[in-house]
Amino acid sequence: MGIEKLQAELDKDLEMLRARDFWGALALIWCAVFFLWRTSFIPFLGENRAGVSGAEWYNSAAIVPFGIWFAMLLLGLVLLRIAIKAGGAKRAFSAVGLGWDRQEAIRIGSIAVIMGMFIFALVPRVDFILASGLVITALIYGFHAGRVERMLQSTVAVILPGIYALFMHFPQAEWNKPHDDDWLVMAAWVLLTLWMFAHDRSRIARATPWVAVLTPLILVTAMAFGFRQNVPNRGGLLFSKIEYHYYVTLRPLWRN
Amino acid sequence: MEFFLSQLQGFGGAFAALVTDPITYPYIIISVFLGIVFGALPGLTATLAVTILTGFFGNKIPLDYALIALLGAYVGAIYGGSYPSILLNIPGTAASAATAMDGHPLAKQGRGAEALGLTTTGSFIGTLIGTAALLVFVWALLLISQSIASPEKALLALFGILLSGTLMSEDLVVKGWIAGLAGLAMAMVGLDPLLSEPRYTFGWSYLLSGFQVVPVLMGAFAIPQIIDGLRQIDAGKVIALKGRILPNLAAIRRHMPTIARSGVIGTGVGALPGVGEDVAGWVSYGVGKSASHDGKNFGKGSIEGLLSSETANNACIGGALIPLLVLGIPGSPPAAALMGAFKINNIIPGPTIDPSIILRVCAIMVLASLTMFIMGLFTARVFIQILRLPQTVFLPVVLILTTIGSFSVGGGINDLYLMLGVGALAYFMNLMRYPIAPLVIGVILGGLFDETFRRSLLLSDGDLSGFFTRPTAAVLLALNVALIAGQLPVVRRTFAKLRNR
Repeated sequence: MGIEKLQAELDKDLEMLRARDFWGALALIWCAVFFLWRTSFIPFLGENRAGVSGAEWYNSAAIVPFGIWFAMLLLGLVLLRIAIKAGGAKRAFSAVGLGWDRQEAIRIGSIAVIMGMFIFALVPRVDFILASGLVITALIYGFHAGRVERMLQSTVAVILPGIYALFMHFPQAEWNKPHDDDWLVMAAWVLLTLWMFAHDRSRIARATPWVAVLTPLILVTAMAFGFRQNVPNRGGLLFSKIEYHYYVTLRPLWRN
Repeated sequence: MEFFLSQLQGFGGAFAALVTDPITYPYIIISVFLGIVFGALPGLTATLAVTILTGFFGNKIPLDYALIALLGAYVGAIYGGSYPSILLNIPGTAASAATAMDGHPLAKQGRGAEALGLTTTGSFIGTLIGTAALLVFVWALLLISQSIASPEKALLALFGILLSGTLMSEDLVVKGWIAGLAGLAMAMVGLDPLLSEPRYTFGWSYLLSGFQVVPVLMGAFAIPQIIDGLRQIDAGKVIALKGRILPNLAAIRRHMPTIARSGVIGTGVGALPGVGEDVAGWVSYGVGKSASHDGKNFGKGSIEGLLSSETANNACIGGALIPLLVLGIPGSPPAAALMGAFKINNIIPGPTIDPSIILRVCAIMVLASLTMFIMGLFTARVFIQILRLPQTVFLPVVLILTTIGSFSVGGGINDLYLMLGVGALAYFMNLMRYPIAPLVIGVILGGLFDETFRRSLLLSDGDLSGFFTRPTAAVLLALNVALIAGQLPVVRRTFAKLRNR
């Protein structure tokens, strides 16, 4: 009975996979056709290329890309055939066939939004220590207990300052001044931490602020002053102060 | 004989230079420790350990020390995966999946300490076997590879991508090939290497220099792990250790044939382009099951089974470095990350590589395995404490590490966009059971394939005969064709019929 149940689960997983493969194959075929069309923009037969005229087909920069995308098209068709033969097309439009799970969709969606906001909105505009601290707190609080409401609260805590930074300082990164977005991120971080303490008294919750503060602080200072590397947003609210005191207050102590 | 003596002499010199340099020790101790931690934490992998350290050390310290950090982490991480396999029944890395089959039953029988001690010893000897093979074979192959020209290089790169796609695919082989081709396609972005013709840049000047290796590695290996791992997981109870971890000499001597056999298998599998430590572990486990007297107890708590996989996965490291150093084709996903470190240091692995780098790599491997051995035997209880750390706490830290690592290598925000884009693609590929390793190997080898394939055509005025009239090229072409043909239903049916007869 146990083996039959396991087999049934495996069969269900395979059916779901083939339904996803059906859509995957269609996306792959679309991509292959699109990039074959884009590859046709690269000079191939006898045109002037990169200042070299009268060159032959075998000199062309398009020859390997053409081969890759034709192979992709072929493999996409093979995958489509496999998916259709395994019943993937029949189940492709049903939520059950695709393995849709509301809670899992919210979880992945929330992580995607938090990561997207962090990379596209916060890192290019806000102090790195503040942005990282907020995101670490949001991810630990939001996802440690696996509760949907916490995931959504964390997402809101990141999305609000993220959208503000993105739209108020669009399109280019504004790392030096003004620091309104830095203050907003700091406020969101503090509020989220207080909210977390109000709803969670666990060991993990108590450790979260330490992880959120120390991780970006150690990393950024090690990168900037240890490895002497570029770090995001040197003019940020906190890092500009750290950098100032490193060069003006601390460094002279051992330089002199 | 003279060859071996000169090899030993060269290695001795490199090893002496390494151990007499006081700077070596902080790097090796910290990197092996970090490697074991990465391997021990389920959700982090050996590839991720090497990738993240490439972001931090790749181009910020001299290559000599960067290699210590990266190889130390590589050796440590492959070994570290055995801790959760044995004590939690959760493989820390894919390479340790076979270890859990026997390691956990042994721990449940109260023999966890014995299992850890023998695993540590097996991993140590395995790494040494792999390193010895690296020291000997790399030179022989380097001599042969002097005669390898553009057609052979192009076919080898293609073989690496196809083989990796074939062997790393857990669902359909076609998915492995698609992943490899996707990597190749990504390598086409930017100015082409021969005529500087822009390809797929869509007017974005950042793309003119092509996809940077480190953000691609970070995106492909870290982002899917973070997305997948940020969930509530009941990690299970860590089984308490009883008895001493230090193995006795008699036990080691008794299991020496298994360790030696697994070491050789691991090295051999590692030497195949694009095939990683997980395949080595399973192949050695399979061979061990049929070759060992204890085969019937495999899966029920057999020390022989445990040693088969654990020795092989560490021996695979030395094997994986052979194609990397000789041909510039990574033998495993972590070796692909190592290739990224070579690339950002402008070192081109292959026949023209500086021999002193190879000797230094061997010396570092020996010192790293020794450090791992000592740490494994005397500080194992520290690593066991780390197993209690939930992944919802350390994965956000990994996100910050990868962000700053990607940013610092290229020094630009665009690298972060690339990392996230590749990460999203890799996540969906994971979801649909496409292997990620062929994608990364495709990105790394794509440039080599494009350049050498077109150079071959350019030199022969478009004549394709160079790919089958040159003996080595003909063999490689036959291997590529066989690899593809072997998956065609008609060929498989024919072979099945022949077998039945």
